[in-house]
Amino acid sequence: MFELGLQAIYSGVLTGGYYALVALGLALVFGTMRVINLAHGELVLLAAYVAYSAEVHLAISPIAAIPLSLVVVSLVAVLVYVLLSHITRDRELNSLILTYGLGIVLTNLMLLIWSADIRSTTATWFQEGAVLGDTLYSSRSEVIFFLVSLVLVAGLWFWLTRSWHGRAVRAVSSNRDAAMLMGVNPRTTEVLSFLVAGLLATFAGIALYTGKTIDPPLGHALTIKAFIITVLAGMGSIPGVLLGAMLIGITEALTISFVSTSLQDLAGMVLFLAVLLLRPQGLFGFGTRRG
Amino acid sequence: MQQRTIITIGFVVLFYGAVPAAFGSTDYVISSIVAALTIAGTAVAWALLGNLGGMVSFGHAAFFGVGAYVSALLTMNAGWPVFAAIIAGGAGASIASVAIMPALRLRGPYFALAVLAYAGIFRILATEMEGITRGAAGLLSIPRLPTILGFDLGTNIGSYYVILTIVLAAMAAYAWIRRSEIGFALLAMHETEDATRILGVPSTRLKAMMLVLSAFITGIVGAFNAHHISFLDPDYAFSGVWTVLPIVAAIFGGFRTVSGPFIGALAIYLLDQFVFKSLLPTGHQIILGAALGTMILLSPDGLVPLLGRGLGKKRHAAT
Amino acid sequence: MLRLENITVGFGGLTALANVTLEVGARELVGLVGPNGAGKTTLFNVISGLARPKAGTASFNSVNLLRKPVQARARIGIARTFQIPQPLHELTVRQNLIVAQTFGAGHRNARRIDEILDFIGLKRKAEENAADGLALSEHKALEVGKALATEPKLILLDEVLAGLETAGKRQFMQTLKRMHQEAGLAIIIIEHDIETILALCQRAVVLDFGKVIADQTPEEIFRNPAVMRSYTGATPGA
Repeated sequence: MFELGLQAIYSGVLTGGYYALVALGLALVFGTMRVINLAHGELVLLAAYVAYSAEVHLAISPIAAIPLSLVVVSLVAVLVYVLLSHITRDRELNSLILTYGLGIVLTNLMLLIWSADIRSTTATWFQEGAVLGDTLYSSRSEVIFFLVSLVLVAGLWFWLTRSWHGRAVRAVSSNRDAAMLMGVNPRTTEVLSFLVAGLLATFAGIALYTGKTIDPPLGHALTIKAFIITVLAGMGSIPGVLLGAMLIGITEALTISFVSTSLQDLAGMVLFLAVLLLRPQGLFGFGTRRG
Repeated sequence: MQQRTIITIGFVVLFYGAVPAAFGSTDYVISSIVAALTIAGTAVAWALLGNLGGMVSFGHAAFFGVGAYVSALLTMNAGWPVFAAIIAGGAGASIASVAIMPALRLRGPYFALAVLAYAGIFRILATEMEGITRGAAGLLSIPRLPTILGFDLGTNIGSYYVILTIVLAAMAAYAWIRRSEIGFALLAMHETEDATRILGVPSTRLKAMMLVLSAFITGIVGAFNAHHISFLDPDYAFSGVWTVLPIVAAIFGGFRTVSGPFIGALAIYLLDQFVFKSLLPTGHQIILGAALGTMILLSPDGLVPLLGRGLGKKRHAAT
Repeated sequence: MLRLENITVGFGGLTALANVTLEVGARELVGLVGPNGAGKTTLFNVISGLARPKAGTASFNSVNLLRKPVQARARIGIARTFQIPQPLHELTVRQNLIVAQTFGAGHRNARRIDEILDFIGLKRKAEENAADGLALSEHKALEVGKALATEPKLILLDEVLAGLETAGKRQFMQTLKRMHQEAGLAIIIIEHDIETILALCQRAVVLDFGKVIADQTPEEIFRNPAVMRSYTGATPGA
């Protein structure tokens, strides 16, 4: 019982690293543009599919496919931004509907290109076991991308707080007009944040492809997961995303171990609703978003 | 007002008289129109919440599915008459909407997404609660609509009259509320919430009322559909289609008008069924997604206002 | 009727109101004066519920105000206008008043709406879109009309005269006076113009840096050199 619980928590933490990768891009774009990109999960999935094609047609490993995925996903991310920037009225709600529509387009595009079949990598090396201290099991992919996730979260945090560009991104998110007066071009920083979101989505996609199976409807599920984590974190909190992601990961893993596999998603959603209703500013966030 | 009455009467005559007369004998066409009206009913409910409540919902599939299951189970397990069960289905969806009500305190996008996540719960519940819902195996031979005064409502043409009446009743309710004090207050709240509350308007309570009503209508439509199709399983009852198509229809037709979602649903569903599906047997939803995005960018108020503007009409939301 | 005690409001490190104590009786007409940023509008926000004090108590006819949400305060008889008019969007002038009456007063009375339209001089504009069919003075009149339609016992007027030319101002002051006399309302009015306060009010309260520095008759206030220094210093020519 105890060992099962320990294993569940370990798996949950590792899964949380991957979830953080999925959610960070969404949180970042929300932080800069106050826009929730409902096509974000589809970007993650797109990266995975590009890696799949690279593996099949170019016979390269998913890791080697990262640059290719990055180019494709970044292009699509910028396209999403360009379309979003054409919204003039009711920006909050219209941008939701627009990105929702783009999500549908991307899902069906992937369905048309890669069919509804379930795909997974042939590089089985990633799925082989990695044992920690004789008792805790996981796959290599999980461990690798957990570490990648930690590095990227730290990097993103460092970038946002220390670098000029990152500070500009934060300045734009808190006050667009003031940022402009300080010589920051909001458009540049917004494109930048979409590009960084694309980068994060790419790594999430490769983590997904090396560790799990993919099919077209998955993108939508990933968007929901990313949003749930972002809310748990408190919208706009980067370290909160990592903690929120791990919380979801652990909750799901414990549910799988002790209740039932099919209730995995339910546990996350119930946790999400509880937080939303009891502590709408998020678990790790400050301030309020009451209307 | 005069002109509006004439249009309304013409509309009713067309849909109660001319459409069945023209297509009544072609089962395929009339059943497609029934399906389109099912989308229309949900689209009207969605637009009511969107326009009056100021909230975008990505979770109407939940209300649709709850209505369907409640009604189907009441007829199958408790022997309820179909129409009473359909009303109960609407009530069930309303009750389901109460659970999400605390999210009304959250502003626009958060509500939209809270509902999106919330909707996911129901499909899982319907799958897992096998004792009641028979899980993924689904419910077979759900009782069909009854025969009343010798007229079999279970036929395609009978179902057509039932769903048409449901949708028109929903539109009438929407129109009535929009022209009532509650509608005025709700519309005013979008841009000037503080100024509205200062006058004594209980904004959250009014929004909650719209949510309950919207869920009720959607539940009724879902329940109707269950008895019309006579089959349910969790993936079908809570399918994302019941969210996507109504949104596309409402945005396309114009969700700030009463007739927009109706016209949008007929146009979008029938185009999807007869054109897009034959062009792209799989992935035809890509066209719907693209249409949604295009509408938001080019004319966020939809086709109906666009045409209205073309005819030189003045756009007034509440008159 | 209205009783505020030791109301303190702060935003971040800034104190907008410090220990404000104020009592206003039924049928009183009180001028609230002071330089810009003295906390006058904040005080209105506290009374109407848009701002939450850090400390202090507020009651209205012995009902604890601070526990009531904004909309409930309207229903117990507190109405206010906004300095920048906030007509209800997407509605006509008449519909603005109907919303105020239905929800603020709790009943419908079409004749009363017509009377208010008459009173504020907007009868001819009743069917215009309130957000974009009116001139500034008409917007200000509509603010007062909406407040009246809620059938208040106390009405808070935030610079309803500012920005009007002299003729409009005089007419508006007549309206206010009549409103006070006929409807028997208590009024608190924020106003920069000294003559307006002298002409309208029996009592004037001076706020400066969030504190009440004087509470006397208008004549006494404007003879008080300390008040005048703080007051005119900040708003030359007003």
